[in-house]
Amino acid sequence: MKMLHLAVLAAGLAMASPASAETLIRIGYPGTGLDDRPFAYGDYIAVAHVQKLVEAEFADQPDIKVTWTFFRGAGPALNESLAAGQLDFAAGLGDLPSIVGRSRGLDTKFLASAGEHDALYLAVPPNSSIATIDDLKGHKVAQFRGTNLQIATDRVLEAHRLTEKDIRFVSLDSNAATAALVSGAVEASFGGAEYLDLAKRGVIKIIYSTKNDDPTLGRNAGLFVTGEFEKAHPDYTAKVVHAFIKAARFASDEANRSAVFEIWAKSGLPVESFAADFAAERLAHRITPVIDAFIVNRYKDQAQRAKAYGLVKKDVDIDSWFEPKYLQQALADLKLEHFWPTYDVNGKVVTSGDVEQTKAASN
Amino acid sequence: MSRPNFVDNSGLSGRADRAARALPRAAARLASAAQGLAAPLVLLAGWDIGARLGWLPEQILPPPTEVLGALRETLQDGSLLSSTLTSLRRVAQGFFAGAVAGLAFGFAIGASPGTRALLTPLFLSLSHVPTLGWIPILILFVGIDESLKILVIGWAAFVPVALNAAQGVRDVPRAYLELGRVLSFSRWSRFQSIVLPSAVPSIFTGLREGLANSWQTLVAVELIASFEGLGYLMAYGRQLFQLELVLAAMIVIAVIGLTIHVLLGLIESHLQRWNPR
Amino acid sequence: MTASALSITTRAAEGSAIASNALRRWESRLRPLLVPAALLTLWEVCARSGLADPRFLPTLEAVAKRGMREFAQGGLAADIAASLERDLLGFAAGGFVGVCLGLSLGFSRPLERALSPLLLAHRQIALFAWVPLISMWFGGGEGGKVAFIALAAFQPALINTWQGIAGIPAAYRELARALAFNGWDFAVVVALPGALPRIFAGVHAALIYSWTSTIGAELLLDIAPGVGGRMNEGQHLFRIDLLFLCVIILGVVGVAFNLVAGVLERRWLSRSQA
Repeated sequence: MKMLHLAVLAAGLAMASPASAETLIRIGYPGTGLDDRPFAYGDYIAVAHVQKLVEAEFADQPDIKVTWTFFRGAGPALNESLAAGQLDFAAGLGDLPSIVGRSRGLDTKFLASAGEHDALYLAVPPNSSIATIDDLKGHKVAQFRGTNLQIATDRVLEAHRLTEKDIRFVSLDSNAATAALVSGAVEASFGGAEYLDLAKRGVIKIIYSTKNDDPTLGRNAGLFVTGEFEKAHPDYTAKVVHAFIKAARFASDEANRSAVFEIWAKSGLPVESFAADFAAERLAHRITPVIDAFIVNRYKDQAQRAKAYGLVKKDVDIDSWFEPKYLQQALADLKLEHFWPTYDVNGKVVTSGDVEQTKAASN
Repeated sequence: MSRPNFVDNSGLSGRADRAARALPRAAARLASAAQGLAAPLVLLAGWDIGARLGWLPEQILPPPTEVLGALRETLQDGSLLSSTLTSLRRVAQGFFAGAVAGLAFGFAIGASPGTRALLTPLFLSLSHVPTLGWIPILILFVGIDESLKILVIGWAAFVPVALNAAQGVRDVPRAYLELGRVLSFSRWSRFQSIVLPSAVPSIFTGLREGLANSWQTLVAVELIASFEGLGYLMAYGRQLFQLELVLAAMIVIAVIGLTIHVLLGLIESHLQRWNPR
Repeated sequence: MTASALSITTRAAEGSAIASNALRRWESRLRPLLVPAALLTLWEVCARSGLADPRFLPTLEAVAKRGMREFAQGGLAADIAASLERDLLGFAAGGFVGVCLGLSLGFSRPLERALSPLLLAHRQIALFAWVPLISMWFGGGEGGKVAFIALAAFQPALINTWQGIAGIPAAYRELARALAFNGWDFAVVVALPGALPRIFAGVHAALIYSWTSTIGAELLLDIAPGVGGRMNEGQHLFRIDLLFLCVIILGVVGVAFNLVAGVLERRWLSRSQA
């Protein structure tokens, strides 16, 4: 009976989808701006979106349409869309949800890194008695489950000899978490750069940040394509990667620092938040697309920890996930082979990159 | 050979022959039971085979063994039991509060036309707002703690209980009420001996609908904002793409729903024996 | 008393009777409005005098102003339209499948025997328990929302249609058999007209359930234009006036659905039974 119902629905939905000659390139981003605005921030994906670089790649092919979908439900919602066959590219998908998706058989290919060392912040109300991670025990804390916030949080807790069971986690998306924190419905919240402006205005205070802690505690994200799309359209895949690498070039150049912050401000967060988020940190520290030993190791490590924390049920094969040929082609085409440094498994520089020579305009 | 204890046309008698006659009856009962089980079993088999053969990708439907595994795991680590108990406690508290308030309100507007005219329009317009629609406002007023859940679940029960109780009181046959007045019953004993018994079927319908509403609302509220309970377990499974956890929680929810359904049916048939009508 | 004095007194008595009747009619028309009016006055007084925190209780004027602003510039009308579109699409899909399946179950005993345990089990699963599953199967976008709403409409449509057909009194079936009706004639002449009130009740219930599940779907699945999306916005940004506005809209739509369904039911049923 459930099957009959499903069959009818499926038939109906199948009939409803347009049978046009148009090819759609469907890009998904796991997040929204303030008030669920369809804008990203904090990475080169946002730059590609605002500068319409992907659309530009296909400007001479009118039967190809690029669509962007911003998921309030972040990584988990994007995974659902991938599973339902509704997306071709996952741009900026966090490490945990991408690992979870792969462990459940989602067929994706890791094309390039979309961000690493992304900071995790712990925010509390201004008059809260919670001062350190250890004080969180037994309290109600907001955290968006299934996103890369979760695994980053679990690692931080582990470093302080706590587990998820010691804390009452409420799963809320970033807008809901902010509201809950401000209204006192939760006593603390783990999140990203969205808290910096609130902290500046004194609405909340930030008591912990991974910026001052172990560098491997940061969050990572990647650019993925579905195996199906890549097999059917390797040429389009190459063009999309090309566009994103262009965006990465722009976004990691210190000379463009304020321009990049302006682009990210379209999400509704003020420029000052990003300045604070990247204080004493070069753009290229986080914004780099290269697949090097550091990134491969980070993902292997996260996959193992995810299994240890019970977030995934089986071992995930990381090595066969990477498909660097498009990245390498784009780097060669744009003459950026030596633009970004590569790092070893411990984060030490192996080859240096030209981006380190770039300087901010007003410095 | 034993004595026949009845006469029949087939000319058969005796224990062996009774058994021979009983066999087709039992076979018929077995056949109809088998028919009832056929569809679920076929689906279950199809599910298992489909998963094994890889027709069903595991992100669409994990194999039944994984769902059983999830049930076993959550039972072992205690999370299933504590989630179930939390959810049941919430429904009990919310339903009790809403039902008591609903009965009081329902009697008031059912018994007094004046009160009815005063309060019903407001009540009806409020009841047209879907229960879930109140949640965002309530979250701002009371936060996401237990009080939110109790309030929402209570309101979900209040509406049908009040409506049906009012209807039950109004439908008391005038003749009975007249009789009570003629026999100079006090208001209270009139209520107790005449109105209440007559209204019991409607009251029960209201309570039944209220409980069903409460249960439905509980699941929705736990999905929206919670950190424990069966709904939370399902939301967690959804976030981590663990479909088997979602299915395991759904099975528990179905079992609880079925238990409530059966219990209410038993109580209803018991009450009907007691009600003269 | 003289005749004229009598007639004057009678007319005076009549006059006062008419006056008091009119008064009573006015009173009964106004009485339903008494409590809401009193409450609204109380609300306004509290909000304006500062007795209640303005963050929690906006003045009625604020809500009205918000409403006008949202309709004029905020695209609230488009949001309502989007919600209604999803609602009616899901209602049509789920209601149709429900009625069809209900008819099949009502007319075919073997099918009923085969499927009824499954359907019983399906009924026990709280509607919202399907949300995670549906969003994993259909995604959280329009497809998922419409699928969920269709599921909500399916249930009452199915049950009521099925019971409506199955509840045709045995006497009617006997009569049809005696008159040598074939299956089709039985269905069209006896069963369907007899079951029609029940079927309408099911469709009416499906309409209500669809609206409830539309709001639930919008609150639980992906952000998209809609009343539920606006409520999320109001909640996250502490815009209580927006929230109260949305609640009013929800109520108005609910009342409208009930009215329309009631009117249609009365017209069609009376025609079919004439």
